Amino acid sequence: MSRVRYGSRAVNRLSRRRVLAIAATAGVGVSVAGVTGLSLAGETSAKDDGQPLVISLRDASKGTFDIFSGGSKTTLTDKKLAARLLKAVKR
Amino acid sequence: MSSHREAPEISKDPVADSSDLYAFVSPDDPDTVTIIANYVPLQLPASGPNFFEFGDDVLYEIHIDSNGDARPDLTYQFRFRTELRNNNTFLYNTGQIKSLDDPNWNRRQFYSVTKVDAHGKSTVLAAKLPCPPCNVGKISIPHYESLAADAVKKLKTGEKVFAGQRADAFFVDLGAIFDLGTLRPFQNKHLVGKTLFNYAGKAVNATDKLNVHSIAIQVPLSTVRRGGKKAVRGRDPGAVIGVWTSASRRQVQVRQGDKKNTDVEVGPQVQVSRLGNPLVNEVIVPMAQKDLFNSLPPSDDKRFAGFVEKPELAGLLPVLYPGLFDNLAKLVKAGTPRADLVAILLTGIPDGLIDNFQNTTGSTKADMLRLNTAIPPAKDPKAFGLLAGDLAGFPNGRRIEDDVVSISIRAIAGVTFALVDETFKPDAAAGLVEQGLSIKNVSSGLLKKFPFLGTPFDGFDNP
Repeated sequence: MSRVRYGSRAVNRLSRRRVLAIAATAGVGVSVAGVTGLSLAGETSAKDDGQPLVISLRDASKGTFDIFSGGSKTTLTDKKLAARLLKAVKR
Repeated sequence: MSSHREAPEISKDPVADSSDLYAFVSPDDPDTVTIIANYVPLQLPASGPNFFEFGDDVLYEIHIDSNGDARPDLTYQFRFRTELRNNNTFLYNTGQIKSLDDPNWNRRQFYSVTKVDAHGKSTVLAAKLPCPPCNVGKISIPHYESLAADAVKKLKTGEKVFAGQRADAFFVDLGAIFDLGTLRPFQNKHLVGKTLFNYAGKAVNATDKLNVHSIAIQVPLSTVRRGGKKAVRGRDPGAVIGVWTSASRRQVQVRQGDKKNTDVEVGPQVQVSRLGNPLVNEVIVPMAQKDLFNSLPPSDDKRFAGFVEKPELAGLLPVLYPGLFDNLAKLVKAGTPRADLVAILLTGIPDGLIDNFQNTTGSTKADMLRLNTAIPPAKDPKAFGLLAGDLAGFPNGRRIEDDVVSISIRAIAGVTFALVDETFKPDAAAGLVEQGLSIKNVSSGLLKKFPFLGTPFDGFDNP
């Protein structure tokens, strides 16, 4: 698994977050953790594990994911995870 | 228009659409600069029951560059939050609104102000400032002016702020200009117009009696100048600041349908609107690149410099007004880059071209509104600004009463090219062409003090 960091949060913290559902398509994927909305745009706490995560499978063939959390975007590559997700949505 | 609906994508997102940006040394407090960024353009005053407001999901910013690198040395961020008092009414107000905390006012909006320095350090200056209500009508809001005045707040750090509805003071004959470049005072000289008219027409202010939402801030000059100087000479490079505004949205939004309060907005802010000088993205940048322009910072504007050097409109004027712009036609045919327009719009005007004036920020080509802060407010402002010898007017910053449309047309028509090429003789028409409007065509008038823009038109009298 390779990682690229854009924000302050590392991908290996993913398992500690409340990712409630994951769906993916071959080109574009979406996953949502439905927690609370933001009180003011841009004003979020980096320490709040209860905040939502959105995961986008940007390139299914390469297994490239974008993970959006708070004000950051992190990119990771995981072909096996991409394959599992595609299988889950019968793609 | 200056920047109302100037690009395809942002025209569908009016809440984030910057329409005008003003920056001038404050006539009511000459030790400060007033910056006004207008959003949510073209508001019909009668807009109940859901009156206009800022976007709670939009990050609004005003940026100031003080060292000429086209990157912000100081940014003010504005974030909004809407609150409902009563979940069981469809009404904006359930009775008269007589104060900013009147219980009859159901849907209120508040905002925070955050200051970001050159190193990215953020400081929240104010957390919950009230916006005034929209001007519903004199039945609902009998004393709108005083209510709006109560929404002007002075911060502990010295800035004065206001955010809320105002009358749009931009004046433009939009209907004529975008009908094949017609200027009504010259409609009988127009390629097609001369077949329809044998007389000069009277211009119409298309944006009159419409409202906008303004973010206005008055900042001590020492806060915006390089090195924090309280006083500078006009020739000092540190006297000049570059200003622009931007609006951004979160990269990801997930809508939950009926579970509205669980909607998700996450990820980095993505810029969707940008405005420095008026009319640059509107008239200079080709339609295919307007959305791209809105997404980029001024520091990337080198890629658009070619459109400033050879503006499409300069080639159109001689065609649309046959025989009036022959010298301009020769200039266009020669393919000479318009160094004058590059100076006005992208680098600032260097010392030596205009007596006792400069507003250059160096060689970095960037669309910023450049203001020489050492030049005091004019006692008798001229609508044609610098072109009329008024050093305090556009393109030295921009005042509300500056006729930026006519100034820009004259500049593109060639009057300013003589500044960089003494052998060029501008066409006589270039010094006469104008849209035929002035601030007198703005029905609201202006305030004499901050936030200067006039009282918004009310819904009752402007149905």
